[in-house]
Amino acid sequence: MKRTSSPYAVRMGFGLGISYLFLATPMVRDWMEASMSRHMLVQMPLLVVIGIVACRLLPAHWQNSVLARVGGSIPCVVVALFASSYWMLPRALDAALNDPLAEMAKFLSLPLLVGFPLVLAWRRLTLIGRGFVWTNFISMLAVLGWLYIVAPVRVCNSYLVNDQETAGWYMVIASVLLFLWWLGTLLVGGGVGPDKPDRNGTGTKLA
Amino acid sequence: MASYTYTATPDQGAKAGVLAYLVVSAVVLLLMMLFGLLMRMEQAQFISIGGLWFYKLMTLHGAGMVGIVALAGASIMWHFLRQYVELTTSIFIANLVIFLIGVVMILASVLLGDFHAAWTFLFPLPGNSMGMWSQGAAALFMGGLLVIGVGFVLLHLDIARAIIKNYGGLGRGLGWPQLFGPDDGNAPPPAVVASTMVTIVNLIGLVVGASILIMMLVNLYVPTFEIDALLAKGMIYFFGHVFINAVIYMAVIAVYEILPRYTQRPWKSNKVFLASWTASTIMVMFIFPHHLLMDYAFPKWFLIMGHIIGYLNTFPILIVTGYGAMMIVYRSGIRWDMCSRLLFVSLFGWAVGAMPAFIDGTITVNYVMHNTLWVPGHFHTYLILGMVAMVFGFMYYLGKPDENAKDSPIDIAAFWGFVVGTMGFTMSFLYGGKEGAARRYAEHLPEWIPYDRLGSYFAALLIASVLVFIFRFLTRLGLAGRDYQRASLARSIAT
Ligand code: HEM
Repeated sequence: MKRTSSPYAVRMGFGLGISYLFLATPMVRDWMEASMSRHMLVQMPLLVVIGIVACRLLPAHWQNSVLARVGGSIPCVVVALFASSYWMLPRALDAALNDPLAEMAKFLSLPLLVGFPLVLAWRRLTLIGRGFVWTNFISMLAVLGWLYIVAPVRVCNSYLVNDQETAGWYMVIASVLLFLWWLGTLLVGGGVGPDKPDRNGTGTKLA
Repeated sequence: MASYTYTATPDQGAKAGVLAYLVVSAVVLLLMMLFGLLMRMEQAQFISIGGLWFYKLMTLHGAGMVGIVALAGASIMWHFLRQYVELTTSIFIANLVIFLIGVVMILASVLLGDFHAAWTFLFPLPGNSMGMWSQGAAALFMGGLLVIGVGFVLLHLDIARAIIKNYGGLGRGLGWPQLFGPDDGNAPPPAVVASTMVTIVNLIGLVVGASILIMMLVNLYVPTFEIDALLAKGMIYFFGHVFINAVIYMAVIAVYEILPRYTQRPWKSNKVFLASWTASTIMVMFIFPHHLLMDYAFPKWFLIMGHIIGYLNTFPILIVTGYGAMMIVYRSGIRWDMCSRLLFVSLFGWAVGAMPAFIDGTITVNYVMHNTLWVPGHFHTYLILGMVAMVFGFMYYLGKPDENAKDSPIDIAAFWGFVVGTMGFTMSFLYGGKEGAARRYAEHLPEWIPYDRLGSYFAALLIASVLVFIFRFLTRLGLAGRDYQRASLARSIAT
């Protein structure tokens, strides 16, 4: 990928840093974290996206050597899976609100342990691996959302029950939309990684 | 313009994996049929195994049959699809291994844990056993289904990958460019179209099924996480119905691929063919409410949708396939051997078996007929005389010693035993249903018993015939893996 050291990448990296800092400002944090839906479904995904974009800006040979050093795509996927699962736990949300250390861990781990390794692994995953990640993620999101909707108790100390229910509904809706979108990409073809007909396996496609 | 000429391709032998699938299928099929016979004999009061064993057998029979026909269907699909796209053998084998693990879990749950809430595991029954089975047994059963589902997800993902790689997208696998644009004659072959359809609907069905299974597992251990029973039923039937429907769409690939070899007439994917498969891809997913017509709590539009789509979806693929088969066979001088006979009769069985469902899908009829033996009458017809006949046809095809091999009189007798046995067996269900015999009752009223007895005799005849089919296949396993011409050319071509 030629564009890595180009002014484009530098500008992008700069913008990315600014957005990261912006997300970390107390005002934005307060607003995002005031509601469970925004906390889980806006702030956290944005942190992951920052990790994803950042990783893509690195030169391809860097990405490859990091990937080789950590042992290939499977460990990357596993790390991303565990790190993201952790932040789906209600306890983790509470901790992030009450404990500055946990908040910092969230700001570091979501980009570095979820977004980053996913991009590294994505380049090497075929449709089977990617499909596995997607179907797993989507059904987890749906089931977790459902659990939030029907939970008999308040699962987070910091959020009210109705907030929890709303977040649950958003998660279910998001999972349905994601699933439809993913199926749509299969139907019209295109982004399927290294096995695409034109063998363009750069991992720059999402699905 | 599209050109429709036949291009001969060599008959390929089956890979070891396909044979492993088929051997497992044959053995399990036979065992489950024996379980079915025991149930029917219990209803007929020929034997007395008691309610507990009846429901244990019913649970095993339901789950076992649905799983095993899916496995057999997958082996047919994989065998032919592999000739067009590059499939991954290791994933195919992994699915078999995962399947067997799931089967062991289910067997343990039913046989050791006494779980007997039927294969539909309808909420909230598995969690409310009133002491008849433990939480662990219910969890093991649902876990087993989940494990089997994971294997199939992997298999379908591999198929999706391979089709996308070769054709550039699942839409192209369904032949959309040819369907919606000019037909350039380059539409994917029927085997690819059918596999694409099955892959799409099964992936959706399995994700929904996995979600409800996990929810029920959570609910099992933490009952305060309440599940809406109506929603659970909807999801279970969506998953179950899509999955069992997909089975016949996999197996019919054998008809598409093998019959043309006999008469050297092409089975091309023309526009009508493509349109019907695309239409069914969507309809198969909306047809399941016809099982829920009695649940008045569902919104009305939902039930009406089930009624209408149930009517519509009965036909496209069935007619296109039946008509296509007639065109292949009509005045071709086809030579009837066990394979071509079974494949041809399978279309008859499919068509005949669909009719009772069509009738039962009518809301007013449904109020009276649903939950009677009419329903098992419907699905046993299309599954045994349709789907299972396709599987045995495929087995005979693989094992046929040479192009001109003659069938022994025993096989021919078994063929007729199979047809007559199945028709008699399923008619006994249908007639019992018409007379009001309830479904899923271990004990029947005296008025129903004559049908049960007749049904048992016919079932025994059917099983005896199946024994011949299976024995023949097992003795010919060595041939099944080799590449050579199997289909005997029709008289019009051979002479
Ligand atoms: C010799 C062959 C067979 C016999 C004797 C047989 C017998 C039976 C009997 C007696 C029942 C219970 C009916 C009731 O009272 O509700 C039943 C249910 C069922 N059978 Fe079969 N069967 C046979 C083959 C098959 C095949 C080949 C399949 C599938 C491919 C199948 C799938 C089922 C299913 C799904 C049920 C419903 C179980 C439930 O209600 O939970 N059967 N069968």
